[in-house]
Amino acid sequence: MAFLKIENVAIRGISACVPPKVEENKDIPFYTPEEVDKVIESTGVERKHIVSDGITASDLCLKACEELLNKLGWDKESIDLICNVTQTSDYTNHPNVFVLHEKLGLKNDCMSLDFYHGCPGWVIGLSSAASLISHGTIKRALLLDGDNITSVQYGQDRESRPLFGDAGTATALEFDEDATPLLFQTGTNSVDGVALIHKKGGSREPHTLDSYKQELGMLSGEISTEGVEDLMDGMSVFSFGISTPPKSVKQLCEHYGIIIDDVDKLVLHQANLFMVNKIAKKLKMPAEKVPSCLKDYGNTTSTSIPLTIVTQCQEDYSKGKQKTLACAFGTGLAWASTYFETEKIIIPTIITYKNV
Amino acid sequence: MELNEFIANFAEQFDETDANEITAATEFKSLDEWSSLIALSVIAMVDEEYDVTIKGEDIRNSNTVEDLFNAVKAKA
Repeated sequence: MAFLKIENVAIRGISACVPPKVEENKDIPFYTPEEVDKVIESTGVERKHIVSDGITASDLCLKACEELLNKLGWDKESIDLICNVTQTSDYTNHPNVFVLHEKLGLKNDCMSLDFYHGCPGWVIGLSSAASLISHGTIKRALLLDGDNITSVQYGQDRESRPLFGDAGTATALEFDEDATPLLFQTGTNSVDGVALIHKKGGSREPHTLDSYKQELGMLSGEISTEGVEDLMDGMSVFSFGISTPPKSVKQLCEHYGIIIDDVDKLVLHQANLFMVNKIAKKLKMPAEKVPSCLKDYGNTTSTSIPLTIVTQCQEDYSKGKQKTLACAFGTGLAWASTYFETEKIIIPTIITYKNV
Repeated sequence: MELNEFIANFAEQFDETDANEITAATEFKSLDEWSSLIALSVIAMVDEEYDVTIKGEDIRNSNTVEDLFNAVKAKA
């Protein structure tokens, strides 16, 4: 059973940074005004922050992390573990965790781990980082999680273009024998993984000169994605998203005796509003306990849970105690649910990246 | 699971299309109002009413409403 109860780890702070460029969904050229209204209504996404001018996920994570370390007053020498989650690394060979370790100026006596995960990545990263801290020798850890997913999406892809945005986040974790345990339930359904797969350009299906020209044209939006099979199967992702996550959250609650009514926030992966509402309804959670940042940020893949906490719940998390249930799901197909309690954690105001 | 009830539930997902227009033989993807958003509503309806998880391929492989009914029934 993929349940985890991790003792001795406290979440101390969460921060997030988004790129400055904003794309309004109503300005996307291929929709009629009627179409765009329907798309906005069902996705809940009015606009997204998207990367431009060479900004990448690691830049966003770096800014988020520096601000968080500053507000926490943590010396960089005190960091024993850095974890990074991304699907959009700066380099084809050299995981972003090393880029960030270098740019943050962390000490050599520090463990580095990089996770290639889609939307469940923050929860998966949290479970892994917390497991390592719970042993007691690693005292402080950083979990950096960011994607510049819009730079690998096709300009004319009608399913993805209105939905996705970019962000980078940082989560600070510390060994604490008085901390309430962090609880997890995770799972994998790889048989249905084809719904969220991109095959072209990897080792199995390397690009040819022609396919690479087509790829560049689709990325820039000059070439249509019509007839291209290597795209997200939105319908299958949707049916997975409304069926499996609520079951996972229920299993987590049953296994550890969590009373759903006592939970302060249910923070769901911000896939789209239709899905978020469906899952919340199945778990009988009132809307006021289910924050969403879809309207202004879109689906920011694995960053969407920390981004929702930072942008929608800054006051609640920084001023008091919060009992949080969270669930993320996506590429794999994989999912991860977690329950954690926090007490007055550091949440800096959302940062907009500035080029210097 | 009953076909007429399924057709009624299916027709409810449309705003502009008259429910009488939708029968077992309707090739639903040719309806003017059919869209990827209606498809999501149908998936959600099947999940809610029949506790069945259908995939994109179930919709893609169905031409008529009855085809889809049979796909759902096979999984119920």
